[in-house]
Amino acid sequence: MISSDVIRGYNDTFILYMLLDGESYGYEIAKNIRKLSDEKYIMKETTLYSAFTRLEKNGYISSFYKDGTLGKRRTYYRITPEGLAYYHEKCAEWLITQEVVNKFIKEL
Amino acid sequence: MDTINSYLNNMFAALPKTVQMEGIKQDLLASMEEKYHELKEEGKTENEAIGIVISEFGNIDELMEELEITVEDEENNLSALAPEDTWGYMVAKKKAGFMIGIGGMLCLIGPALLILLVVLAETGFLQGILSEDAAGILGVVALLILVALAVGLFIFSGMMLEKYKYLNKGFNLPQHLRSEIQQRSSAYASTYNLSLVMGVCLCVLSPVPVIAESLINNDSSGYGAVLLLAMIAVAVFLFIYYGNIKESFSFLLKEGEYTREK
Repeated sequence: MISSDVIRGYNDTFILYMLLDGESYGYEIAKNIRKLSDEKYIMKETTLYSAFTRLEKNGYISSFYKDGTLGKRRTYYRITPEGLAYYHEKCAEWLITQEVVNKFIKEL
Repeated sequence: MDTINSYLNNMFAALPKTVQMEGIKQDLLASMEEKYHELKEEGKTENEAIGIVISEFGNIDELMEELEITVEDEENNLSALAPEDTWGYMVAKKKAGFMIGIGGMLCLIGPALLILLVVLAETGFLQGILSEDAAGILGVVALLILVALAVGLFIFSGMMLEKYKYLNKGFNLPQHLRSEIQQRSSAYASTYNLSLVMGVCLCVLSPVPVIAESLINNDSSGYGAVLLLAMIAVAVFLFIYYGNIKESFSFLLKEGEYTREK
């Protein structure tokens, strides 16, 4: 399990990645992140919804309502062009981060 | 499932109740419920499922941090009430209460007057002045005029309060005004209670004239009904006028039915 402190700066990237292929809603996104990380990272609910709020405030995602399976109204999210640009930015940033951090990693 | 719901309610209990908050809360609940159902389907016991859902909820402070700015903004947007607006509102509310009270009274006095005229004509008091038919017509005309007058009063009082409609959106009552209004409010309590008692007594006693009349002469002529309506008219005025004054206190102090949800 990864501690949430380490990964904090990349929560937004994960969520945006999950929205690249189309709209989705909170629980589905959380479930897919968990699956994709082979259960090594579980995004907590408050983290997820904080990120939604932040991303929407910055204009990277937009939300809308749709009826869910149980007939309840569900909030769906969709990535915006700005969000896509931001995602690419974060990907580039990660490559550099990875490169830099790797220089300080030594197999003992 | 109730456990999850009450867990979430506890988490949100201290947070401001805004539309945004409610939305997030509903989304969180939906997420948690779905996770719970899936865990149950995977064969987890109810306790295990609830345990996992709650342990993966996270820290509410994280959410607060993200929302803090919006929360602060809303608090600041509530304008502090100026003294002249505060007293202006109270005066307007009192005047409006007076007008609505009178209006309500007129609506009852109309039929009372009609009955009175008809009864007077029937019993011969108006002989030589008005025929029975004329008395009836005059009564109806008077009733209509009074109702029209009442409607006018209702509309006018509504217009008078229109100016203070913005207060419904929320306001901050400065402390010094609050304490003064509180003082006035407690001083007013006895007046209000007295008006209430008198109004209720009038309503309770209102059938007495009718009963008394039928006891005195068997063909009860209708004077009792006139008195009944008149008594209720006075009671209606008492309820509305004093009630409106009381309401202006409760509204400004956010007491009683105006208690702010927390």
